[in-house]
Amino acid sequence: MIITNEDERLRESLTFAEPSIPERISADPEVVENGLAKLVLSIIELIRRLLERQALRRMDGGNLTEAEIEKLGAALMKLEEKMEELKRVFNLTDDDLNLKLGPVRSLE
Amino acid sequence: MKSVVIGIHLNREDVEPVAESMKVSDVFASVVGVADDRPLGDRDLLLEIAAIRGRLLDKATFIAVRYGFTVRDENELAIKCSGLTARWRELLVAHRDEVEMTLKAAAAAAPPARPDRHDFPSGAAYLRALHDATQTIHVDPEFRVGIERTLVPIATQHRWIHRDTHSVELAMLVGRRNLDAIRDAGEKLRRDFANAPFLLSGPWPLEVFANDHHE
Amino acid sequence: MPEQTEEITLLETLDHLLDRGVVIAGEATISIGDVDLLYLGLNIVLANIDAVIRTSQK
Repeated sequence: MIITNEDERLRESLTFAEPSIPERISADPEVVENGLAKLVLSIIELIRRLLERQALRRMDGGNLTEAEIEKLGAALMKLEEKMEELKRVFNLTDDDLNLKLGPVRSLE
Repeated sequence: MKSVVIGIHLNREDVEPVAESMKVSDVFASVVGVADDRPLGDRDLLLEIAAIRGRLLDKATFIAVRYGFTVRDENELAIKCSGLTARWRELLVAHRDEVEMTLKAAAAAAPPARPDRHDFPSGAAYLRALHDATQTIHVDPEFRVGIERTLVPIATQHRWIHRDTHSVELAMLVGRRNLDAIRDAGEKLRRDFANAPFLLSGPWPLEVFANDHHE
Repeated sequence: MPEQTEEITLLETLDHLLDRGVVIAGEATISIGDVDLLYLGLNIVLANIDAVIRTSQK
């Protein structure tokens, strides 16, 4: 059964999230390079977000050792740093990466 | 051919003929054979597995295994599950006649500003801050009272879960015979709180209540 | 409205399939140190990448 007062906000928090990956990549070399960079960065950002969520889940579970918490936290910090560096290198902003939670149709 | 493991069940007849079964210690796993070169992210496969889960739940309650776990054979299954099956059996016996229901509700207020990693001296401090931010998220108090009055009394157990900074979840263990009562309560909640975004869904196999660290 | 509800049902079903349940170490696992963070959505993303590459090769 599904009973709902459905709302955009709810849709966003339904876990299944992926960035809007473009369906077509242009053949123009300049656009291709930029398009691929965006694609790669979108994927890395997605992984970063999901790793963060998983780390938070494990925190919730309360069964991580102090050393594990430190490792996870440090890794997340490192990932964020890397993302920022890459965005600078490719001159891309968060808007450019178009990171929005898309509907499940993007599975097709 | 790899086998995607779907769930853990008490009896072989709880699995067959909806799916294939593999014995592991004194419980049974439901599995579906998949071609080696078929990616697990295949949309049709996902939908097929979801449908199989539904049919398995119709037969009997089971413990859901997170999607993605595959094995070659019963040996591999036994090795990877060793040490876990005793606990699983306990849970399956204890919750034989129950299923899980999930209520998701949008947070009442905008999330707090995300912690800035530069403000923290260590990875652990940063992760703790991120975690703390999720714990502050709540639904509207009135709505919460409504939930506690309509749904919670029907459940045998319930647990509020803070998964992220946008929403809160309520996981409930509900006796199968009480599913109609849950449906009625959900409809009442929807009428009484027309402006509160929420989603009540189920029944689901044991998911939240199958995880050890919550005991 | 029916289409939206159908989509929500699908989202919710996928959420329960992909993001819950007991975790047993599998190959779709990303680990940090010794901590396994099981992530399966990666397969979905990769499936999409494949589709993107195929589309761009047309």
